[in-house]
Amino acid sequence: MSLLTMILKMSEGLGKTCAIFFLTLWFSLPLGMIVALLRMSKNKIISSVIRFFITVLRGTPLMLQLLAVTYGPYYLFHANVSRNKLIPVVIAFSINYAAYFAEIYRGGIESIPKGQYEAATVLGYSRFQTFMRIVLPQVIKRIMPSVTNEVVTLVKDTSMAFTVSYQEMFTIGKQIANSQTSFTPFIVAGVFYYLFNFIVDRVMGRIEKRLNYYS
Amino acid sequence: MSAITENKAPGSVPILEIRGLRKAFDRVPVLRDISFTVNTGNVVTIIGPSGSGKSTLLRCASFLENANDGDILYDGQYAMKGGVYAPKKELNRFRTLFGMVFQNFNLFPHYSVLKNICEPPTLRGCDREEARERASELLKKMGLEGKENAYPCQLSGGQQQRVAIARALALNPEILYFDEPTSALDPELTGEVLKVIRQLAEDHMTMVVVTHEMSFAHAVSHQVIFMDGGYIMEEGSPEQIFENPQQERTKRFLSNYKK
Ligand SMILES: Nc1ncnc2c1ncn2[C@@H]1O[C@H](COP(=O)(O)OP(=O)(O)O)[C@@H](O)[C@H]1O
Ligand SMILES: [Mg+2]
Repeated sequence: MSLLTMILKMSEGLGKTCAIFFLTLWFSLPLGMIVALLRMSKNKIISSVIRFFITVLRGTPLMLQLLAVTYGPYYLFHANVSRNKLIPVVIAFSINYAAYFAEIYRGGIESIPKGQYEAATVLGYSRFQTFMRIVLPQVIKRIMPSVTNEVVTLVKDTSMAFTVSYQEMFTIGKQIANSQTSFTPFIVAGVFYYLFNFIVDRVMGRIEKRLNYYS
Repeated sequence: MSAITENKAPGSVPILEIRGLRKAFDRVPVLRDISFTVNTGNVVTIIGPSGSGKSTLLRCASFLENANDGDILYDGQYAMKGGVYAPKKELNRFRTLFGMVFQNFNLFPHYSVLKNICEPPTLRGCDREEARERASELLKKMGLEGKENAYPCQLSGGQQQRVAIARALALNPEILYFDEPTSALDPELTGEVLKVIRQLAEDHMTMVVVTHEMSFAHAVSHQVIFMDGGYIMEEGSPEQIFENPQQERTKRFLSNYKK
């Protein structure tokens, strides 16, 4: 198989790689905020349950979580393994990343000085207004570098989908590597991820710059 | 409400009354039986050693801290009675009566100076253009003309504190609280902030100022309160407190400030 054929074949999986990437961000970024707010809940039961789930999700391999979400229903209820594996893959990724984002959000929210809340309260901001107008914009700026880290990691983590044989770029590459007994597909995959993250870095850098209007 | 206050001479209508206020943190009493009254148009300064409960008192008066017992009345109406607060809706109405200036300014760093000042009144239903005009007017009064589009981080501490004062004034409070407004400033910047507060006093703004600037307190106040250990130890005119203090503790405290 020529290099060009390999590249073309693997490119066919790029759409799925992108699907995992964007759908995961789409779901996990807001879900992480909900998790963070529940984690900081004054209700001790809610906050400890959430804390437990966060530690489980961060303390076990994403690979296991992918297997659990994809095949768990079959072993537990003899349900059919969903034919479109994108669904369980995105669910597993979104939950896992939401746990990471939640901790980032929590750190950001807790870093906002108490005085900001107090000033807002005296100035008549409601709790919701304080959060949306005063706290959240400052949190977003503060957590941008950590979020960028996670997004870069997510690009590389999409390759984990090979564990459930979802036909994204890396899975295809791995299959080619096996059938052709060649290492080249892995190099091609590496270049793909590098380019993907090059773009991610540019985009995130631009967003960070845009938030630099104050310090 | 303002019609009533305007008909009476300044200094005779209580805007704030505090009676028998008590507050403890983890069972440690910080305010013990605090009572005093602030009349419209008057400037009350609170002095006392650090840890004596001055900030806690202002924070209780502004509902940032929940007191344990006592009464708080604004305009003769109970915001708290016997340690029980009025319903939330009522409290929000009382909140429109006072403003607060903090030691650390607490400006919103992601907002321009103009937005810092304009957003609160706009959220309360004030017309956008009107709020804008009023903000520019206030900035001029604070000696900050043309700073509308600056961000807090681009200003000196003294300028930031004056923006914070403008922000509080933009809501037209009946009474303004200051918690050590110059304590976070370099010595050369305290003057510009004190000057602005003095100017407000001349305009008969009702204010309660916690401060360690004794000559300022002497010059500007109608009433001085000396606190120590959660008690009001002594209270009186600036002449009484600064020139003829009765309590031993007051004398000792003030002697630290004599040069
Ligand atoms: N949130 C709090 N939790 C526990 N103790 C507090 C808290 N705030 C203030 N205190 C204590 O209350 C006392 C009075 O504090 P404060 O009102 O800040 O005094 P001042 O402003 O006169 O320096 C101090 O002993 C302080 O340690
Ligand atoms: Mg204090």
